[in-house]
Amino acid sequence: MILIMDIAVVALRMLLPVYTVVIVYQIFAAMRRRRRPERPLVLLQDLDTGEKIPVLFWENSIGRSRGSDIALDDTAISRNHCVLLRRKEGWFITDTRSKTGTYVNGNRVVRRTKVNIDDTIEMGNKEYAFRRGEEFHEELQSSWFFSKVSNKPAIQPYKVLILVSLFHIFMAVEACFCDGAKDFDPAYLCAMLVGVEWMFFFVSRVILRRAAFELEALGLFFTGIGVMLLARQNVKNATIQPCYVQLIAAVAGMIVFCIIIKFIENPDRIGQWRMIIMIVAVLFLGINLVFGRVTNGSANWVHIGPITVQPSEFVKIAFIFVGASTLDRLQTRQNLLEFIIFSAICVGALALMGDFGTALIFFGTFILISFTRSGDFKTVILALASSVFAGFIVLNIKPYVMRRFEGWRHVWQYTQDSRGYQQARTLTYIASGGLFGVGIGNGVLKYVAASESDLVFGLMSEEMGFISAITIAIAIATLFIYARSVTTRSRSTFYSISACCAAGLFVIQMSLNVFGATDILPLTGVTFPFISAGGSSIISCWGLLAFIKAADERTYAK
Amino acid sequence: MKRTLKRSWLIFIVVIAFLGGLCFLVIETILGASDWVDQPYNGHISGSGGLIQAGKILDRNSDILAQSVDGKREYHSNKQVRKALLHVVGDDSLNISTAIQSRFRSELTGYSFIWGLNMPQSFRHGHDMELTVDIPTCKAAYNKLKNYDSGACVIYNYDTGEILCSVSIKSYDPNSPPKITEKNAKKYDGVYLDNVLSSTYTPGSVFKIVTAAAAIENIPDIWERKWTCNGKEEIGGGDITCVSEHGTVNLKQAFGHSCNIVFAELAVELGEAKMNEMAKKLGINASFSISGVDTKKGRYDISKANKNQLAWSGVGQYTDEVNPTQMAIICGAIAKGGTPVNPYIISGNSGSILADIGLTKVGTAGKNMISSSTAKGLNDLMRYAVVNDYGDDMFGGLTVCAKTGTGETSKGSDKDKNDGWMVGYCTDSEYPLAFACVVRGSSQYGYSTAGQVAKAAMIQAAKSMKNN
Repeated sequence: MILIMDIAVVALRMLLPVYTVVIVYQIFAAMRRRRRPERPLVLLQDLDTGEKIPVLFWENSIGRSRGSDIALDDTAISRNHCVLLRRKEGWFITDTRSKTGTYVNGNRVVRRTKVNIDDTIEMGNKEYAFRRGEEFHEELQSSWFFSKVSNKPAIQPYKVLILVSLFHIFMAVEACFCDGAKDFDPAYLCAMLVGVEWMFFFVSRVILRRAAFELEALGLFFTGIGVMLLARQNVKNATIQPCYVQLIAAVAGMIVFCIIIKFIENPDRIGQWRMIIMIVAVLFLGINLVFGRVTNGSANWVHIGPITVQPSEFVKIAFIFVGASTLDRLQTRQNLLEFIIFSAICVGALALMGDFGTALIFFGTFILISFTRSGDFKTVILALASSVFAGFIVLNIKPYVMRRFEGWRHVWQYTQDSRGYQQARTLTYIASGGLFGVGIGNGVLKYVAASESDLVFGLMSEEMGFISAITIAIAIATLFIYARSVTTRSRSTFYSISACCAAGLFVIQMSLNVFGATDILPLTGVTFPFISAGGSSIISCWGLLAFIKAADERTYAK
Repeated sequence: MKRTLKRSWLIFIVVIAFLGGLCFLVIETILGASDWVDQPYNGHISGSGGLIQAGKILDRNSDILAQSVDGKREYHSNKQVRKALLHVVGDDSLNISTAIQSRFRSELTGYSFIWGLNMPQSFRHGHDMELTVDIPTCKAAYNKLKNYDSGACVIYNYDTGEILCSVSIKSYDPNSPPKITEKNAKKYDGVYLDNVLSSTYTPGSVFKIVTAAAAIENIPDIWERKWTCNGKEEIGGGDITCVSEHGTVNLKQAFGHSCNIVFAELAVELGEAKMNEMAKKLGINASFSISGVDTKKGRYDISKANKNQLAWSGVGQYTDEVNPTQMAIICGAIAKGGTPVNPYIISGNSGSILADIGLTKVGTAGKNMISSSTAKGLNDLMRYAVVNDYGDDMFGGLTVCAKTGTGETSKGSDKDKNDGWMVGYCTDSEYPLAFACVVRGSSQYGYSTAGQVAKAAMIQAAKSMKNN
């Protein structure tokens, strides 16, 4: 009897890592399918030669520059002449401070001007007719992510979610039967979790009629893992156990996800909100600086009654929002000054709080955004140089920061003090878990402080196995590959930039978390996206995921 | 849109860097996992609970030193054997950090990188470990050593590298480990330390091997020289004393009688550079890896010594310190013509992937220490000492070359803390054994303290070898 039980336990443990790989594969495979074929949206026809130029994107830069979406070899045309863009109401053209001007049916374009089919657009020395996309018959190349996809239909969204829910149920089974378990609390938790998942599915598919569910399923998969990892992390005398707090925060996160998608539906309206959002974000950080209480070495927490909030997590969303921009705005207002000042305030405030990990995330994301916007390599170099300089100043003013680096790459010499205590235990328990883990609830790392947040990679690895932990890390990194591959299919560069940079932010944050806990980088104490315990963190992750969702052109399709 | 796509390569680099980091982590984990697991704080294996299903530890004759029976760890049935091999085998705790049961607890309990540590009990398969030690030899050494405060005896086969005997004192019975409190702390001071590997002692006259080696390599007419010993001589503003007046002696006689004055003069004549050079060649300030444990480094530091202190350093006083295993390796090197074979103590480890695929080579040659002619010279000196001073019948018919020493560790009346030494090797081809024995806490000379340990252990080691 015992032997049969043991076989079942081991089989379940081995199943989870394999299952993790299957789910991640299925979701990304589904993302690759179900796309409209590569066809031009409209055409520009050269009235002299009859040549047909396909217009592929929702926002197209037109100019002499070879980097333009529609590059015209005409000396009378400016490098960045104008932008041709599609909105719900139809097609528009905006002149972006060209020297010779743009004309629609003979009228000079001053503001954004509507263009109708068969209108004539005059740029430089030539005239073009605006035609329907169906008149184009040549083959177009597709991005590798979507090319060579088999014709097999994609897995149905509800099937993906069944896979995900079943995974969480398996985790609950493990937690219910872990060593020394006397109750079935994880089962109730899991029931609620699965309920939340299907409720979200219902809202998304039936009420909001979203075309795809893969990205949400991935988010739910990670979130559920984070919740179930907490199932056996009971805190004595707590009014609500952390696992339920996490679940409630996740629901809030999903609501934020839907709100943000709705909020950024019209990329042109966003401009009006930019300044307000910046001010609110700075206020948030200001409140944090004034009322923040020092917890674990940094004052990045604000206590509002029984609730503790980490404002810097929400500022991440504002940061991406402020950083991204539509193409016509990018071409007319090229300077980054506004964004640089905003970034400097954010990074400075975080450094003052002593939250260097989050400051580093903001700084890294700042570089990614400013480069993606301007393509200016000098800005990147300058920013990096000044950060090295700032780093030296910090080390001089706050010498205790240096102490964190003392243990770096030498944690085995400091297993009993703060310089290496957490990292050494993380490594020990990663190794103890082996490839398949010791099972949910059987870990020992959970008794180490911050194991469910800063060291969660170790907790995952110990309880679920090294394979699962690595697969999940890769899956989050692959979000960027997805974001990048939908870049040119977005309804605006606002979505492309924000999606790529949100994914980049995830990767930077995950790097600091994973490599900090495993002593490849110094430990800075940031959260693992979606999985680390922390209400503010999970809400912010869902908020950032909304940007990636919005970049998919189907999101706003009716 | 195209530009945004193009510029996103910077983010792509970040992603690639992250994936590269992950690969690095995977490699580090594969290489380091078995070390990471063996930590005293590891909740999966700490305490005797971790040994419930652990594998056996066997000596060279497959006699069981430790095994787990019905959820309990059992050690050898003989108390003397248990105490003799305590520091090699270890106990239920992880207090003796260099012991097999501490260092390889994860392997013993069936750890593997693939399965981790928390396999259900019915699937656990503890790995056995075979050692090179010989129980009777260790027992013989222990029975002589146990009379002293502190001491160590190590014997190894200088042809193969197998360590036959490794006994450290103080010891206790792993079946009833002492509860160390403030009251009895002094009594058990250093009890968790394996003196064979992790301690150093003042060498006294055994250090004359080093001085002699430097003299043979650097002074061409060394064998023709004659010295006169009056029992006392002033060098560098202080007296160098001998136990007695040795009269006119050549190098062999000076080595055999252990004349301080001759070797003090030689040290001064050779000077700091040449003495340092030989100490470095013989690895006095270095450590040797014995199946993964680094021996404690000895000390030969004359950077701040005046002439008198340099003289004393040549006869193993001043601040000189050496480790027992290190001395055994030097003797092994002399026996092998200048290049030692690295000693090892683990001959079989069913839990090691590296050992399974033959990546951990044992019994390999170490670094060359001295030329074969120097080795031959030292061999003559050490043989002369046994034949003319200790008595060739001391080792029951074995042909042994050796040197004794008495390191003075305390000044004045408190002579009880002297370190008595005997180091050497057997030249009989059937018994290629090198040894180093040291005891602390006797007023007598090395010959009558450590010498008796060496004698008993060597005779038993040869007997054990003959029986197999």
